[in-house]
Amino acid sequence: MRIGIVSPYSFDVPGGVQLHVRDLAEHLISLGHYVSVLAPADDDTPLPDYVVSSGRAVPVRYNGSVARLSFGPLTAARVGRWVEAGRFDVVHLHEPVTPSVSVLALWAVEGPIVATFHTSNLRSRAMQAAYPLLRPSLEKISARIAVSEDARRTVTTHLGGDAVVIPNGVFVERFASAKRRPDWEGTPARPTIAFLGRMEEPRKGMPVLSQALPHILREIPGIRVLIAGPGDPGPIREKMTPEAAAACEFLGPVSEADKASLLASVDVYVAPNTGGESFGIILIEALSARATVLASDLPAFARVLKGGDAGEMFVNEDPVDLARAVVALLRDPIRREQLAVAGRDRANAFDWSVVGEDVLAVYETVVSGASSVRTSSEHDSRWARLRRTGRNSGGT
Amino acid sequence: MDLSWIVGAIAVMALIAWYVSYGAARLDRLHTRVEGALSVLDAQLVRRAEATLELANCGALDAASALILAGAATDSLEADTTDQRSREAIESDLTQALELALGEEALRRLRGDEAVGTPVLGRVAAANQRVELARRFLNDAVTDVRRVRRRPGVRLLRLAGHAELPQTFEIDDELPMLARGL
Repeated sequence: MRIGIVSPYSFDVPGGVQLHVRDLAEHLISLGHYVSVLAPADDDTPLPDYVVSSGRAVPVRYNGSVARLSFGPLTAARVGRWVEAGRFDVVHLHEPVTPSVSVLALWAVEGPIVATFHTSNLRSRAMQAAYPLLRPSLEKISARIAVSEDARRTVTTHLGGDAVVIPNGVFVERFASAKRRPDWEGTPARPTIAFLGRMEEPRKGMPVLSQALPHILREIPGIRVLIAGPGDPGPIREKMTPEAAAACEFLGPVSEADKASLLASVDVYVAPNTGGESFGIILIEALSARATVLASDLPAFARVLKGGDAGEMFVNEDPVDLARAVVALLRDPIRREQLAVAGRDRANAFDWSVVGEDVLAVYETVVSGASSVRTSSEHDSRWARLRRTGRNSGGT
Repeated sequence: MDLSWIVGAIAVMALIAWYVSYGAARLDRLHTRVEGALSVLDAQLVRRAEATLELANCGALDAASALILAGAATDSLEADTTDQRSREAIESDLTQALELALGEEALRRLRGDEAVGTPVLGRVAAANQRVELARRFLNDAVTDVRRVRRRPGVRLLRLAGHAELPQTFEIDDELPMLARGL
């Protein structure tokens, strides 16, 4: 199949949508499909050979945060050229209502279009204001995918219609084959737990963990807390008791490989996120690495952990319950092993081999019967259509 | 004075002409989408019935289940595709037949038989998944068409022409025992 994928966000900076697009493209290519990805990128950024730049990305404040987007007539022209050159069977747009390449592509394309909605906060004021303008082009989408139940609910309430839920994928093997690092592994006297993510963002749950630490230290004085992720540890340390601060080791931002090693090495991986998670890809990565997972009982997390079968859960934003759960897990190696095995099994449901199969099923469902993707300018003009018919009948 | 009237009238007419042609093109596109989705659903329903026949004849099921499945599948393959309501009933029956035939014991036996059972079951699951997808995409397209056709301007100017008002396709197509539970 010839597949065109459009990412609205620049590949210069990492992010959930870009990673998803990259992984999906690489998985489809490994299956033998032809894939071309259109994404904003600076001219001097090294890009994988399947990525085509739609132009420079500009940082824009949109929907409450700064995103690197690309737009304007020059970008629109590049989108048109990309569609014409690609001769795609299907075009797959990500975040089609973000003011960037995806929305331009939606404008420019006719034919089988699949769109994936990642966000669970769709209703921006800009979108509402521009809705009459967007509506006709949204009608072109043949199949909508949402990456989670929350994202799907957003689509159904704000855009009407329905969407198929296909979760984010993970290359399970990359995490399963991660090497353990002895300095991150726990011993009975000095067990290790890990926290991953931006520690300054309260919704990632660092404050809950900080408050739980004194309770944990009372029971297990030797515990080591390994904290990986960007951010300044100073303010975090200040808010902790001196004993708690002494138990923490700040690793700073880590590479993908180190992240996998960390998850594979520690006794318990803690995800104390307090909200705003629509999916929880990090939990699946942890399960893939055979980590014992302890997570807050957010609906998204409960779905991934099957309500506690594949990982332990504690009451969201309750440091005392978090401490209780950590202590219980660290004292019960058999339970940890059980959870790790069940979790590894659960992760397989999210492997790209499985998730990619679902995405391909969607492609097949919209492609069969329909003709391939064109630019709308050549399609819409009746004159062009007449001319084509004339040519065709003349030729036969 | 007179001239500005004429210019104004021409401008209004041009605007109306643009609205009509744009609205017609938009509706045309939507109808094409519905037709495409309908033909895909049709193909996937046939594929599901064929996979069900294969399952009935694979030998791993008891004779009664096999007969029920074969009956439901044949009904589906012989269904009158022009009568949507009766077809919906027939396809729901096929789903129900599959649900009945694929009890725990039968599933265990099929999954244990890697030479025949597993691949046949896989084909049924894949076909049913595609029916679910195709039906959802069709119904989305139908909802879009119906919404646009309700608009007063579209109704007044009869922009839809003689095209029939499409109906959503309502069947039971859920087979939870074949889903992976994401």
